[in-house]
This record gives sequence, structure tokens and C-alpha cells, in this order.
Amino acid sequence: MNLQVHLGNLTLSNPVILASGTAGYGREIAPYLDLDRIGALTLKGISSTPWVGNPPPRIHETYAGIMNSIGLENKGFDRFLREDLPFLENFQTRIIANIWGKTIEEYSDIAKKMNGLERIDAIEVNVSCPNIEQGGESFSCNSQILCQLIQNLRQKIQKPLIFKLGPNTDDLDNVLLFMEKEGVDILSITNTYPALAVDVENQSFIFSRKTAGLSGPAIKPLALKLVYDVIQKTRLPIIGMGGIMKAEDALEYLLIGAQAVALGSVNLVDPSAAVQIIDGIEAYLIQKNIFDINDLIGKVREVWR
Amino acid sequence: MKKAKIVQKKFLGTSFVELWLEENDIARLACPGQFVMISAGSTYDPFLKRPLGILSCQENYFGLLFDIVGRGTKILSQLEIGDQVDLLGPLGNGFSLNPKEALLIGGGRGLVPLYFLAQIFTSKKIPFQFFFGIRNQEEKVLIDYLSELSIPMVLSCQEQLSNYYCGTVLDAFEDWLHHHSQSKPTQKIYACGPQGMFQALSKMEDIIPNQIEVSLESRMGCGYGVCLSCAVKKKGVPGYFHVCKDGPVFRLGEIEL
Repeated sequence: MNLQVHLGNLTLSNPVILASGTAGYGREIAPYLDLDRIGALTLKGISSTPWVGNPPPRIHETYAGIMNSIGLENKGFDRFLREDLPFLENFQTRIIANIWGKTIEEYSDIAKKMNGLERIDAIEVNVSCPNIEQGGESFSCNSQILCQLIQNLRQKIQKPLIFKLGPNTDDLDNVLLFMEKEGVDILSITNTYPALAVDVENQSFIFSRKTAGLSGPAIKPLALKLVYDVIQKTRLPIIGMGGIMKAEDALEYLLIGAQAVALGSVNLVDPSAAVQIIDGIEAYLIQKNIFDINDLIGKVREVWR
Repeated sequence: MKKAKIVQKKFLGTSFVELWLEENDIARLACPGQFVMISAGSTYDPFLKRPLGILSCQENYFGLLFDIVGRGTKILSQLEIGDQVDLLGPLGNGFSLNPKEALLIGGGRGLVPLYFLAQIFTSKKIPFQFFFGIRNQEEKVLIDYLSELSIPMVLSCQEQLSNYYCGTVLDAFEDWLHHHSQSKPTQKIYACGPQGMFQALSKMEDIIPNQIEVSLESRMGCGYGVCLSCAVKKKGVPGYFHVCKDGPVFRLGEIEL
């Protein structure tokens, strides 16, 4: 049985990745999950300097999902280096660093730092964060700025470079062409969906920033459609994510052509879910008499690749 | 993830439920102030587990006591003996367990970790006094837990009830200090209750917030430190603690409420 997948020059022992922000820096989830069983661990988003994040409330449960407004809180690169990197040295699993900044310069700074760490196997860039030089609108809302960021980071990063795109990327078609041209290696599709909730009792918004990101099973069909649409438009390998709870959900993403999948919200409710999902994928392949997972990827539709 | 079977269930009045579950590790390891994340049903709706404080542990069993406040706790209240639930735990940092002498101050469902603490103090022969406040007659069912322990206690109720101090638990506490001509309590204080109680406690004269341990309640996503949802502001410095991992027990002086 072969579960190994290749996303450009990044090879994973199996296609199941833990999504950023749902597994900490590895130490937090390790008591519940053998990190060496998973394809890769994506670290909680890190910026060059620590960031305090948003005031509470930061989470709100919806029907079959959750909205969050954590606000990118993180301990910053130096503390990560001191407190978490040594722990990660104990594992063989692929480690993907997720990075963000409030300016292109900040992105560039954290990109260089992460690129210099041997233990980091790939770098994923979160572009769904506010650009303070553009009045706080998200980097993904302005394709020109996004392309500048892509070009800048590709020059700084020699490791496999992943861009994580949310559901509302400006001028997606051209951004995808630009990414291919610049040599971006992989796409992560998608991030949380912008969503709104109102506190009826107090007649106010639930979140202080009004909107928050929706994740969980509630978004799965939407995210699956987005992944499918992006697959039609690009040759770049894709990590599909959004609402995966069990092996069958992961298989849907693989069948439409995602080379790997990432688990997010499910880690919050069941930190050992990844192992069950990997086992479930394996059981499915045996049942369908498929020896190599790569023969399954994209099977429900001929895609341009 | 752990699985536990419900072995005992009891309704107390109309809104409180006590459950006893069989799970060896939790029963053996849990300390007062720690909690479990327990799944409310097996579908994805409600999606998240619920954080519940541990009431007590005996042999292979641990108890939970909760108030039906929303959809999750409503579903939990409908579980029956023999049902199995998924859970994580014991989670978080509990209370310190070696004071010379202690004062326990609780309000409403804040009873839960303090009851566990009182049991430990009793078995360790640590002298303590328990102050416990309820809002109304309905919450009187909680008092039975304390009567069982036969410990020195002061009870308060915000409605008129015979044998209860009329007012909040902090009113009763101040009154007690006054009557015992103790202007400054020298005992270690442990508290759990509504946010307003903590705010009032931190404003009381002659108490040192950094010497008081409080157990906080918070909405949580994961309970084990990855989602960073349960933020509580640090006092005097920028940034947040996370109730699940840094708490739920904090020193009153280190948090902004």
C-alpha cells in the first residue's frame, strides 16, 4: 500500500496534514496523537514579533461549525525557537511553518527566519490578514499587493512555498497564473469563510470585529466546491481543507484532485482524529483494491494537469 | 480521546444535574480546579465539547455537577445511565493544596471545584471555613453537598431565607471578618463564582489579590491549548492568558476581569 504523495518537491508519507491554528506548535496535541503518523503538521501562524490577538469573545458555536476571531495571537518567532522547535526535533514528520505579517516587510522578515531553520520543511503563507499599509484590508483583497507579496517571498524562500488562499481572493484567475509563473509550489485551499453572528438577547454583534471566520462541517460543501474550481484553473498541487471530520470527507477532496488534505476544526473536538482518518483512507483503498493513493487522486474527474 | 460510561445521574431541582462517570485515569489523576471537555451528543451539532469542572473523584469514578444553561448542557442533561460519552481530561491547572489554613468562597455553580477542594482539605486535616452564596431558593439544592461534609460554613442568599445571611456571599464574608475582629484575613483564600463576585472581591479592602486563587469559567473551543479561544486579559501587561492551559485557576491579581 502506498500512501505517499508528492506536492511538487514536498513529499509526505500520507496526505493528511494538521491545519494551522488547530494543533498548536506540536507539543499541545502530541499527548493525543503520534505526530509521526501524520503527513505533516502545520504550525500555528507565527509573526516575527509576538501578537496579542483579539479581545474575547473569540469563539462562537454555529450549527455544525464554529466561528472564530482569535486575531492571529502568537508568541512570535523568538519564543517559538526557544520553546517549541527543540520538541519538534524529536519527530520525523514534515513540519510546515505558517507565517503572516501586517506589512510586506514583516512577511519578508519572518519568511527569512523560517527559511533558515533546518527542521522546517515548507512555509505556508497566510494572506487573509490585514495589511496595515492599505487601511487594514486583507492582502488577498488586492491582487496587485498580493502579487508583490508572492514575488517578494519567492525570492526569500528556498523551501517549498505554499500560499493559503481564503474564499474571497481578488482576481483569483490572474493570481493563480502569477503564482505559477513565479514558482509558488503548492496552494492551501481554503481558509475560514467570513461570517456574521448577532447576539439577539443583547441586540449587538457577537464579535467585537463583527465578522469572524466560519469553519467546520458547516462549510465543507462550499470549500469542496472552491477546491474543485481552483483545480480547474491551475497546475499547482493543492492541499484541500474545510470541514473534514472523517475519512470519507478527506476522500471527497482527494477524489476531486486535491493531492493532500488538512484537518482543522476536527482537531479541536477530537485531537486524535487524524490517525482515524488515515486508517480510514487506508481501509478504503484496500476495499477498493487500489494499491497507490495517487491512483485515487482526481479520479472523479479528468482534470488539467 | 477517552470514553466514559455514565453510572449515576441525579437532577437537583429543575436546573442542576449531577453525573457520575467511570473513567479510571480521570478519577485517579484529577485535582480540584481541573476540568474535562465532554461531548454533548454524537452528531456535529452541537459541534464543540463542553468544559465542566470536576466535582469529586472516588475509586474509578468522577462526578460532574452542572447547571443547564444552553443547548450543550441541555443535551448533557438528557444522557442516561449506561450511555457512553467522549471526553478529554483531566485538563488545566488546579488549586494549590497545601495552605496552613484556608477560606473558601463560592457562589452558585462555583461550588463545584470548591467542594472537591473542601474534600481534599478535610482529608488532609487542613483547617478551613466555607462561605457559600446562592441567589435564590432554587439553588438551595447545592447546600446539601456542604451539609454532607460537616464543615464550618457561612451561607448566604440574596432572597430572605431563615438561617441564611441575607445578601451576597461577599457581604456575608465581610460580616464574618468584622465579627471575628479579623480585619485582614491571614488564611489563604480560594474562590469560584460569577464574574461579578471576582470583581467585587478584588476591590475589597485588606485583601491581597495575588494571594487569592480563583477558578474561572470560559467558553472554550478545544480545552487543551491549541485554539486560543478562552482568552482572559493579563493584568498590568499586554496580552492574554488562556483559561484552559494557563488556568482555569489563576491568582486574582494577575487577571483583568
